[in-house]
Amino acid sequence: MFSHSSIITGVSWKRAHRKVAPLLYGLVLSSLGLLSAGCAGPQLGEIRRQMEGLPSRVQLKTVPFYPQKAYQCGPAALAMTLTWSGLPRKPETLVPEVYSPELKGSLQPALIGAARRLGRLAYPISGMNVLLREVASGRPVIVLLNLGLSWYPEWHYAVVVGYDLSEGYVELHSGKTARELLPFRVFGNTWARSDYWGLLVLSPRDLPATARENPYLQAVLGLEKARQWGAAVEGYETALRRWPGSLGALMGLGNSLYGLGKLKRAETAFREASRLHPASGAAFNNLAQVLWEEGRQEEALRAVQRAVALGGPQATIYGDTLKEIESGKP
Amino acid sequence: MMRKIAKPISFFLILPFLLMGFSISRAQAAMVGTEAVLNPAPNGETVRVRLSNFLDRQDVQAILQSQGISPREAKARIACLSDSEVAHMAAVMDRLPAGGGGVGVLIGAALFVFIVLLITDILGFTHVFPFVYHHRS
Repeated sequence: MFSHSSIITGVSWKRAHRKVAPLLYGLVLSSLGLLSAGCAGPQLGEIRRQMEGLPSRVQLKTVPFYPQKAYQCGPAALAMTLTWSGLPRKPETLVPEVYSPELKGSLQPALIGAARRLGRLAYPISGMNVLLREVASGRPVIVLLNLGLSWYPEWHYAVVVGYDLSEGYVELHSGKTARELLPFRVFGNTWARSDYWGLLVLSPRDLPATARENPYLQAVLGLEKARQWGAAVEGYETALRRWPGSLGALMGLGNSLYGLGKLKRAETAFREASRLHPASGAAFNNLAQVLWEEGRQEEALRAVQRAVALGGPQATIYGDTLKEIESGKP
Repeated sequence: MMRKIAKPISFFLILPFLLMGFSISRAQAAMVGTEAVLNPAPNGETVRVRLSNFLDRQDVQAILQSQGISPREAKARIACLSDSEVAHMAAVMDRLPAGGGGVGVLIGAALFVFIVLLITDILGFTHVFPFVYHHRS
């Protein structure tokens, strides 16, 4: 009965559906019992309970829609979020960096790497709770869905641009459809297969609503890795507004300013780090290096001696700095 | 004869220089990187080096190219990731999904798969076919 191609059209499908539905469901329940147990998504009632205090309906209006070409949902999803974040991009311009032609798709690290190389903060998230909080705070989220099955995957990137808790759907810019409404049940099931993988693409001045210190700093570190020093400086400054005195953020700020060649400001950051974290040899070491490059050998020597005295896993670097400074010429 | 020997020998001659070049570039300024502060575990760099070395292998490059990925681009992507992300990537690299989308993926697939997907679609486990209407729940 399934080899008949007419079931693909909606009308005849409905007719066929009525006839074969009981049979189908019986078949499914008996043969796919395991599967249904493994794929049980979050229940709407539970989601509603967890989301108390959030607006029940959210629709992000400023996220542009770019329909995907062929399999290129990755470039399209990234372009939508980049443009929303204030960095206008068309999907075509992202294809070389993001899309792998033979895979007919885009890998997650490619999306992350491309965003970071453009000076945008790529912050991975996970879970329905976090997703809805981010959307409620006005930020669109790229999600990786498996529209197929675990053993027959059909991976797909879409951008969540809204939700409605009372009606029970998630709103997506997906494929060739703008504002597709997907019931929570279906969305939850298809999203579960990527372990609820989501990605925020933000200006480094923006802080995710659900940001946690270490993951956020890791994301800013990605900007440093991409040698986007200016964006990294902004990211660390954003982190310091939220987590004042954070050692990781102060060190990152100093290192990024150093990367930009702004020694004076780097010195300030490392000095602050060493003042607030007097047990951090790294802070004293980097302060010493900057002071030395500024031609202030005596101060540099004092700072590096503190680092050497503190020791720790980076002690060999402190030793190198000491030797360098004692040698006398920057 | 000479040629045959020269190749492996030159490889062993070049190797230490490659390794040296790497350590020199790491130590040009005696600064502690942000990475070392954020991730005190020292194995991040070794994972990155291993991954990078892996990408340098000719057989791997051939595979990358057959997948349409340029090895240079692959390395550039790795360079943009933090140590913990690289470690994660090394662990899951072979089972990383690539999002593609589109019903075209079905071309060439067995009828059996089509049927199962159709059924799972109807039950709301999947969302492959746009013509299957989902009741809201």
